[in-house]
Amino acid sequence: MKRPKVGFFDFACCEGCQLQVANFGEELLDILGAIDVVEFREVMSEKWDGDFDVAIVEGSITDKHAVERINRIRERSKVLIAYGSCATIGGVNGMKNAFDLTDIRKYVYGSDYKFFHTEMTKALHQVVKVDYFVNGCPVYPPELVKVLKAALQGIPYYVPDYAVCVDCRLNENVCMYEKGVACFGPVTRAGCNSWCVNNGNICYGCRGIVSNPNEKGMKEVLTKYNIPIEFVLNKVNMYNKCRELVEGGEDDE
Amino acid sequence: MKDLQYLILKKENLDGFVSRLSRLRKVSAPVSKGNGEFAFEEVGSAGRIELNYKPTIMPPKKYLMPQEETLLEFSTAKGFETRPVVEYEKMALFGVHTCDLAGIQCLNAVFSVRPRDYNYLTRKRQIDIIGLECGDYCDEHASCTVVSAHMPSGGYDLFFTDLGGYFMVHTNTQAGEEMIEATKCFESAAEAQFEDLEAFRKKKRDTFKNEVPIEPRFIPGLFDACFESPVWKELEAKCLACGNCTNVCPTCYCFDIIDEVGLDLKSGRRYRKWDSCQLEPFAKVAGGENFRKERSARQRHRYYRKFRYPVAKYSKFFCTGCGRCSRTCMAGIHLKDTLNALIKESDSRIWKKWL
Repeated sequence: MKRPKVGFFDFACCEGCQLQVANFGEELLDILGAIDVVEFREVMSEKWDGDFDVAIVEGSITDKHAVERINRIRERSKVLIAYGSCATIGGVNGMKNAFDLTDIRKYVYGSDYKFFHTEMTKALHQVVKVDYFVNGCPVYPPELVKVLKAALQGIPYYVPDYAVCVDCRLNENVCMYEKGVACFGPVTRAGCNSWCVNNGNICYGCRGIVSNPNEKGMKEVLTKYNIPIEFVLNKVNMYNKCRELVEGGEDDE
Repeated sequence: MKDLQYLILKKENLDGFVSRLSRLRKVSAPVSKGNGEFAFEEVGSAGRIELNYKPTIMPPKKYLMPQEETLLEFSTAKGFETRPVVEYEKMALFGVHTCDLAGIQCLNAVFSVRPRDYNYLTRKRQIDIIGLECGDYCDEHASCTVVSAHMPSGGYDLFFTDLGGYFMVHTNTQAGEEMIEATKCFESAAEAQFEDLEAFRKKKRDTFKNEVPIEPRFIPGLFDACFESPVWKELEAKCLACGNCTNVCPTCYCFDIIDEVGLDLKSGRRYRKWDSCQLEPFAKVAGGENFRKERSARQRHRYYRKFRYPVAKYSKFFCTGCGRCSRTCMAGIHLKDTLNALIKESDSRIWKKWL
């Protein structure tokens, strides 16, 4: 079997998810035995001008140049994988959407702000068709391997549509709520093996919200534990602001 | 009660027993996880073992039915080859409460039904079980008496009752005798010590009383009458569908089976992992239809899988009264509250017409 040609690309992001690939260690050799990486700016100089069997794209779409570029990548790629929270749910870049875009540009670029176009932050699937999602900030490397294998076989990968609590309970962590700390595990999609909570941190909701969250029930839980709802919404929006986005979004030239 | 099957282990010899046993096989026992929580973990001595613990976060089920286990390895390199796999390890579980012994007995029943589950049964044979008796309720969530799981009734190799300076130890099986032989820490019990055990059990019978205002024999009938009860709708609003209640349950045994190929796409494995009826995708099938879309239907299903369906199939409740589901539920869905609500709600409809 000919190894499929794979390109890595990035938009608005910290490139940390791509760094996770470099962090694979020995398993990277097996992965490179199965795919042919032809473009990956973070780790190699070569470029590829043909089509891609698989494009792995990190980052969110935040201006018109990005819209053009992601559309070109989509046209050149048989399969497109949204890679990391910024790509799958908008991630931390989505926080911009809580502010007036002109104010944001002034804040960042000062008096020259008019030279810099911006628009509402979008996740990749809010702009182009996405075939696979690898959630997380950063991605959980074993999940990338699962998704790659699904892509190589041409079968779907279903992101777990249940709470992080499932993995967390199996890992026998003491529940953060029992420790009096607000945690977003109960409404966040699993698949990360609850690695933040395993290491003493809370779940920040970086994998996106489950498809059918019980928002009313969650509010009751927060009330029971005396946690202000506003505080929690702000925290949830750190990663998940883009989920409110209606088609198109607004531009700011 | 005097019987050759009873021996004593002095408290000062507990460490010797656990240390010697741990040199022969892996030993797991309840240890503290902080915050008043406990977990079964591997120990090499008695030092970390908590003799007075409330039920662990996960029941000992995790050893008998691992959260993930390989069932088959396959390869398509030359034709199609398969190799069945059974994963097991010789070990001993120390300090298993009667509620969890009841849970293991439920699992034994499930996995012994034909077609027998040899992965489970083979592993079970390699796990020695040492019970530990409770003298008092662990907390307000326990409801072991209504399901008769508060007193020892088999399911163990050795059973320890803490009587102050020493444990009264009941030997129930050949495997139990072998542990006693191999560790050489036990002494024969004197008459006075049997009296201590009698007194302990008597006090216990005064302490443990049915926690729910219904006779156990009426519980299946209660559930027959309550399928459409508004109580389930109340759970719809509360439940976050996090799956905690089923994952910590000592008798929940649902699993999913998944085929996973290697990166070469030529070889791979079939494995099973725990699944939960509380999760959104559990009853979802091809085409997107979900047979239990509402959380109320999923919660109801959970209760019927504890108090109604297994009574028909195995003639026993699959609730052991350990209280884990109530303890772990951040939304405050408590088993005793649900039973109380069902009893109250059905009161006028059922009980009165029998008078």
